[in-house]
Amino acid sequence: MNGARAERGNDVGESRDFLIGLGRGAAGAMLFGIPMLMTMELWQLGFYIERWRLFLLLIANIPLLILLAHRIGFERTSTAAEACRDATIAYGLGIIIAAAVLIMLGDIKPHMPLSEMLGKIAIQSVPASIGALLGRSQLGGQSGNDEHEDDREEDEGQGGGAVPDEISTSYSRELFLMAVGALFLNLNVAPTEEIILIAYKMTPWHALVTIGLSIAIMHGFVYAVAFKGTHEISNETPWWHAFFRFTLPGYMVAMLISLYVLWTFGRLDDTAPTQMLMSAIVLSFPGAIGAAAARLIL
Amino acid sequence: MTTTANKRHTEVKEPHWIEWATGAVSALVVVATISWVAYQAWTQDDMQPEFSIAITERRQTEGGYRVAFDIANKATATAAAVTVRGEILDGGNIVEDADVTFDYVPAQSKSSGAVLFSQDPGAREVRVRAVGYIDP
Repeated sequence: MNGARAERGNDVGESRDFLIGLGRGAAGAMLFGIPMLMTMELWQLGFYIERWRLFLLLIANIPLLILLAHRIGFERTSTAAEACRDATIAYGLGIIIAAAVLIMLGDIKPHMPLSEMLGKIAIQSVPASIGALLGRSQLGGQSGNDEHEDDREEDEGQGGGAVPDEISTSYSRELFLMAVGALFLNLNVAPTEEIILIAYKMTPWHALVTIGLSIAIMHGFVYAVAFKGTHEISNETPWWHAFFRFTLPGYMVAMLISLYVLWTFGRLDDTAPTQMLMSAIVLSFPGAIGAAAARLIL
Repeated sequence: MTTTANKRHTEVKEPHWIEWATGAVSALVVVATISWVAYQAWTQDDMQPEFSIAITERRQTEGGYRVAFDIANKATATAAAVTVRGEILDGGNIVEDADVTFDYVPAQSKSSGAVLFSQDPGAREVRVRAVGYIDP
């Protein structure tokens, strides 16, 4: 079967696969990017965000995409070069989709200054590009690229090639996945005014409950509730082992990402430390859910 | 370390020391955060927003005059929709006034803004004060 396909002409097959991959990426960018593309605060951020903070966000997105592509792309076959290629395509797709949707929504018009257009597109391209990458891997079915990959795996398996059934996820990767999940949900909600409004409305008592609940949800999501892809703790290991090694660091990661996103969007400027912390706690709530979900999904 | 076998994830029994170290640091950070917030919860009195305004710049602009200022809220309560009024006074009479509204002046924080007059106050007194706010 493989031979027959190879004879049919690799060029046609590959370009078709590539187009399917692009389509999936575009679909992912839309799916994950639409909530942000239709948020007023993000349009406004596009022209008032400090340019060097925007620059930092755009630069930070590059290693993030590469690592993500390497991790979730086609895990067993991908090389660093392939990961870079996937990341570049995802970023490009993100920019194009963001620009196209913003133009369609009438949010970018020809008379606007160039810096405003670029700012709006640039800020939207970050979530859209993550979406494009997730779309390629998560929306992938049993055709196109994946089929190809499966074939290749089989071949290697038959040829005695050591394709491990067991993959060890290193600890740093696990934390990285949590950071991506937290970042993604944070980008969704952080630009809205509601986050700081909630922080202002909350008393410290509310904040304490929020911290406790965030950590409990994080732990429960991954270990207790039997989702597909859930993590199991072997019977001899006490529950608090996983709690210490994964849940608490995960919450810290969610906190740090929250602070970074708030800072990027200028929500921490001239603000007292207590208020910063309150906003970070509020934002860590969706961040914690995102982090836990990322561990299950990715 | 997490071991993924046949699409199931199992945490390994003998983790690397780095995992425990990270866990310990995280636990410390989380406990510190909780204690800080708890401390705030115990000690914080019910305060009303209190503003102090400091003029930072007075400058002639095109077709007018700008008075820039910082507004600080010393209290532990945040104020929303804070209206600040700038007035040019000539011997107790208000010659001109201009309003500006801040969406928020967060607790123990400061915001900055400016009022724009159509004329140069010159030697006359300029008064900038908060005239009202709402609870968020």
